[in-house]
Amino acid sequence: MDRRFFLQVAAAAPLLASPADEPTYRVVTAYKPAAQPGMPGPYPGQVVRVHSENSIDAGSAKVNRELVKQMLASGMKALTGDARSEDAWARFISPKDVVGIKVNCSGAPQIRSSPEVVAGIAENLIAAGVPAKQIWVYERFENQLQSVGYGKYLPAGVNIFGVETSRSSVLNYDPKTYVETSFFGEDDTRSNVARLVSETLTKIVNVPNLKEHQASGVTGCLKNIAYGNFSNVARSHNAEKTHTRTFIGTLAAVEPVRSRVVLNIMDGLYGVWHAGPFSESAKFRFFPKQLMFGTDPVAMDHKLIDIIEEKRKAEGAISIFDRSMSHVGKDNSNPNTNHYIREPGHVEYASTLGLGVFDASRIKLKVIEL
Amino acid sequence: MFLLLAALPALFWDGAADTAPVLRDAGIKQILVPAARLASWKSVDGITAEAADPQSAVKVLAPTVNYRMNVAAATSSPWIVANGWRFIRRPGGRFYYDVTGKQAALAAAEAFSYAANAIIRSDAAGLKPLAAMLDFLRTIAGEPLPPVADIGYIDDGSPASGEVMNLLVRDNLLFQLVATPDRRLKVNVKLGTKEYPLEDARNPGTIAHAVRYNLRDEKRSVRIYGSQVVVARLTASAGRARLHLLNYAGASRTVDGIRVRVLGQYPKHQLWLADGAGVELLDYSVEDDATEFTLPELKTYAVVELSR
Repeated sequence: MDRRFFLQVAAAAPLLASPADEPTYRVVTAYKPAAQPGMPGPYPGQVVRVHSENSIDAGSAKVNRELVKQMLASGMKALTGDARSEDAWARFISPKDVVGIKVNCSGAPQIRSSPEVVAGIAENLIAAGVPAKQIWVYERFENQLQSVGYGKYLPAGVNIFGVETSRSSVLNYDPKTYVETSFFGEDDTRSNVARLVSETLTKIVNVPNLKEHQASGVTGCLKNIAYGNFSNVARSHNAEKTHTRTFIGTLAAVEPVRSRVVLNIMDGLYGVWHAGPFSESAKFRFFPKQLMFGTDPVAMDHKLIDIIEEKRKAEGAISIFDRSMSHVGKDNSNPNTNHYIREPGHVEYASTLGLGVFDASRIKLKVIEL
Repeated sequence: MFLLLAALPALFWDGAADTAPVLRDAGIKQILVPAARLASWKSVDGITAEAADPQSAVKVLAPTVNYRMNVAAATSSPWIVANGWRFIRRPGGRFYYDVTGKQAALAAAEAFSYAANAIIRSDAAGLKPLAAMLDFLRTIAGEPLPPVADIGYIDDGSPASGEVMNLLVRDNLLFQLVATPDRRLKVNVKLGTKEYPLEDARNPGTIAHAVRYNLRDEKRSVRIYGSQVVVARLTASAGRARLHLLNYAGASRTVDGIRVRVLGQYPKHQLWLADGAGVELLDYSVEDDATEFTLPELKTYAVVELSR
């Protein structure tokens, strides 16, 4: 590499590791892939959508817990082809497993993995023979997790765990499992996986929300797996530039994460179509009233892109694939202004890492109406 | 031991001798006073006094961190106010801090880690933290070791050169001053060369990035992960290394854990941690070319002695 070129790049946006547009990554892990990694798992390219008009009340955002239970059962049976919900869960989880339920609370308290959905998943795990004490509902930031109050909904004995008890604390991350890269010349070049994931859990059920994201375009299965299980990830954004296109898939593919995420259940009862992943403005929330199921996070996130694009189009907003600098700005109260040039291409990129199927013609969507 | 104690910073106190109870309550045992007050302080029990003139010392800044939330920058890194480069530029110099509150403890630790001869003036709120830090510094055993450097820096004495040195210190890019390039060091830096043009020094961060690029991260003697406000100084000799770790936000915020990587294999370690009784290093590992460990908390200052 020419050093003068490096300096020019550094002056504009001091990218240390590589002056090219794409960062270089060094993955450090001692974990080997499972015989059949969780992603894309046994159902590549398959997505089940269960919609129920009465699953959530659009006025009060009150969730119908009984309908959610039915949606979970229907979705799991449709995904696996099993007649009984218990058999469907048993394909993924055994009583010996220690199971993490990876929730998403970045938009909490307004938008988060619904406690009713999370509790329903925990109940199914217990019905599959997993003791409550072997179930962990977890999220990176403890304060966000606590703001939801999952404890009131979950079966007794289920653990609730925030990885970062104070922001940026490294203590609950695995010092020997990380991805190293420098995006913008930052000195801390490591993103470590949560210890809970590498040292305790044997399986993970991923429960993202249905949201647009200012940097990555959408935040669905892949981003909840990646940025939700690793430290020091916000460094991938700077000014209008974000490296989420390659970083999300790279993180999600790290063992043991890739092997242990065996099931994705996307909570789309309530969603965000602009200014995500937070949800500071009610005008950008909407009610898709659905849950999506699959083992293939790429196929599911492709469907998420479709939903967000359709909603934005209906609202007269620009596409999340728009890359015009004229639409970049600090005030994103206007749906045609965004903080970053979004990178929804992270979903397709993840497919190149073997995490799932992106080709729309190869994705089979099964829709169930309750 | 005498040499070590001689390197301890000292409180400068210009109050009259009848203020001695304030100092005793705080735990201060040694002070520097204006020459005009020395005689009266000599008769005070429990506090030893020597004369000093801060005006003859180089005034340095109160060590701290400024969080620049409203400043557009390439990264959101906080701005560390550190004096290490000043100590390196003037070895053997005498320095003077004028600080308040808990900054007094951090000032003492900073000066100690560089073996700098420092006078510290503090308000009343800083007396107890300073006394506690001085007591802690007295517990650190062993003689000072020579500093470790990856970079040879040819200092032209200019303000621009000083700012580059400041950035190198803050970015944990270990350097020593050299008169001419030293082949034993991994990188040599001189402003005004083709490699490091003066025009680039207008933004000292650009030079620091270039130095880091030329050095390569894997060759850096010390890496800190998990905090942007911790500055390291490494000294070593004959199979022993001593790592000084300063939390520049220590006056207001504890760092909840950092991962540290030091080049070289050091199976043994000893930790001195200010205000951190019972804390041990975690996940200690010796790899092919480096030693790594986690320091679970850092209030202000820690010293880690590594040995074979």
